[in-house]
Order: sequence, then C-alpha cells, then structure tokens
Amino acid sequence: MQTLSTALIQVLGSVFNLTGPGHYINWGFIQLSVANLIVIILMVIVFFAAILIPFRRHGGDDR
Amino acid sequence: MSAATHTKKVRRFNPDRDVKEWHGKYLPYDLVKEGIIAVVVVSLLTVGLTVLFGSPDDTPVTVKSWSTANPVDFVQTAITELDGSSGTASYGPPYNATAGASPSILGVSPASFFGVHHPIDTANDFVIAPLKTLPSDPKVQAAISEYNAATPQQQAAWTTAYEKAVANATYTNGTLKVPAGDYGPVGTMMASLASMARSGALDGALMSSRQFYGTDYTKPLMLIADGTYLADLGHAQHLSGDQWGMMNETGNYPGQAWLWLYTMWYQVPPFKTSANADLQVWGLMMVLTLLLALVPFIPGLRSIPRWTRLYRLIWRQHYRDLAAGSASSGRSPPTASSVPPASVST
Repeated sequence: MQTLSTALIQVLGSVFNLTGPGHYINWGFIQLSVANLIVIILMVIVFFAAILIPFRRHGGDDR
Repeated sequence: MSAATHTKKVRRFNPDRDVKEWHGKYLPYDLVKEGIIAVVVVSLLTVGLTVLFGSPDDTPVTVKSWSTANPVDFVQTAITELDGSSGTASYGPPYNATAGASPSILGVSPASFFGVHHPIDTANDFVIAPLKTLPSDPKVQAAISEYNAATPQQQAAWTTAYEKAVANATYTNGTLKVPAGDYGPVGTMMASLASMARSGALDGALMSSRQFYGTDYTKPLMLIADGTYLADLGHAQHLSGDQWGMMNETGNYPGQAWLWLYTMWYQVPPFKTSANADLQVWGLMMVLTLLLALVPFIPGLRSIPRWTRLYRLIWRQHYRDLAAGSASSGRSPPTASSVPPASVST
C-alpha cells in the first residue's frame, strides 16, 4: 500500500519542484520575484499575440 | 410662427455615441464553438501546468510549530495577551472595541459600523480558557484562581514583572527558564501554556467552536500573528509587502500578477506611509473601477479607442480589403464605423 501511494505521488507529483528559496530581482525601489516577472512577460506576449495574430479568413458562406 | 420652429432638430452625429447603420455583408460567427474551445484549452493548460509545476506546499505554521521552534517568542507573546497589550488586544473591531483603532476614510469607519462581531478577549480566550481545559493539573487551576481573584492592579503588577523577566528567558532541555521575579501565579500559567502549546493541545483549544467541522482559524492565527515568528517567516519569503506591485507566493511560484494595480498603491506615497492604507487603497480602487464601468459615458475617456486607432490594427485585414475595394471602385476610404458586424449563430 505504501509503495502504491509513493508511486502515485511520483506519477501525480509535479515534474518541476518550485518549492524552495525564491529568486528575486531588485531594480531600485522595485523588487519582484523571477516567477512573477515570467508571468508578466507571458501576459504581455499573449496580449500582443491576441492583437497581431490574424483572424481566420471566412469561407464563402457570407450572408 | 416661423418655418424654423417646425424644423425637427437633428442631433449631430457623434462617433463615440452613435452607430451608423450597417449595409454591408454579415459574417457568421459561432460563439458556442469558441466558448467550448476556450474551456477545453484552459482546462488542458490547467491540468498540464498542475502536473508540471504542482502548487505551493509549505508546512503550515501552527501554535505547536511556533512554540517548538521559538518557545521564548511564544511566551513573550502570551504574556502580552494576558495583560492586554498585544496587537490583537488593541486591534479594534471586529475583535474588540478599542477606541480609535478602526481605519476611516472621509470620516467613515466601516469596521466601526459593523461593530464587534467576532469578539476576542485575549486574556481569557488565548490564556485562561485554554488553561482551564487542563483540570487534571491542580497547580495550574490554583494559579488561575489566584490570578482571577486578584485585583486588576495586582494582576498588572504580576504581568509587568513577568514581562520584564521573560525578556531574558531561555529554553533549554525542554524547560522554559525565566529569571526569578515577583510575578505570582503568572509564571506557572505561562509555563503550563507553553507546555500546552508544544504538545499541540493549544491549537485544539483555540479551534474549539460550535461548528461540527472547525474552519474558524481566527484565534490561532491572531495569536500566531502577534508574535514575531510568523512575521519573520513571511519576511524571509519576501511576503511582508516589500515586493513591488503584486500579490506574491512562497518559493518560486508566481503570485497573482494581474492584481498589480491593487497592490501597487501600497508602494507609493501617501499610501506607503499611511496607517490607513487598506481603506484608502480600497476606496481608490472602487473609484477606478467605477470609472472603468462608466467609460462609455465619460466624454474624452470614451474617445481614447478612436484616437489611438488600435481597432485598425486588430481589424487590419478588413481595412486592407476595404481600402483595396474602394481604390478599385473609386469610393472614399473606410471610416471607423465600417467594421462588419458578425451575425452570431449558436
């Protein structure tokens, strides 16, 4: 039973363990974690992608 | 009666308020299909990211873990609960009625309006009542009786003496050693409370509630927060408000970065140094939220999308097609209101 639960934890557990001492960036009075900075960069990328990726062209079923 | 009187006044066309009637073609748009795709993509992302990164799993801080890791800090905090000088004891509503403790904005104090609806008497709730759950220890019960029977002046003299002595307390070999002093029964009470805390019994005593399932952690949390242990842990994880502009998480997990606007104000004056920052920031965010909700009705603010012409970047293919069509037919170039509407099919 113990082996089964251990195996389950290994299967379902995270591949990348983010628990541990955090990493931080200091720019003058601005201090933020690397994790938050990555999320912000991803959000900016998604924002510009939403604007710049062209819409799918419609076929000939215009009304 | 002049002819002008009979002429119906025509309201001038305002591109921020009025819409031209569309005479062009309509495009089909399957809203349900897009919704289903969005739900599926977000679900896959959620499950995938959960498997890849998991979630924060820090060991919870309890009264037991606190008093085990730093018993002296626990006792130094406990004596302030007994003498009523702790942060919780002077917090004000909703825990007690400390005068002037409630934050206010423009003369309005919401906390005072709702009053004391979760009363906490720190001496009784955090110290005396938990100790009373140890009926098998006559020494402790005698100490409680002696303390309760004493005058407020005598109680204050004991707690003051103990507070001075406990500043130099040590904890060695499982025993709390407090320098001798004239603190009457308080020494026995504090030593017993420390033992109770280290055994985990105090966590249970503070959680006792009328609910079948105990979910009200207010009392243990307030007691722990009065000490320095939890604050030190938070500070070590950069969670004591020194990170700029957003909510944060433990370890290398990201926080709720999209809340940056709410928490940014805590980093800038005058909120940064205000003792009333919570209410001021809340009030400011309510004003900004109201402004956002009322954008269509605010002249100038509602014109920004038309001035910035960002819509032409999003619908650039449409405008290219229109420009190509008008060039070949010799018609005038497209206007801001010439984006084709979609007919939603469900």
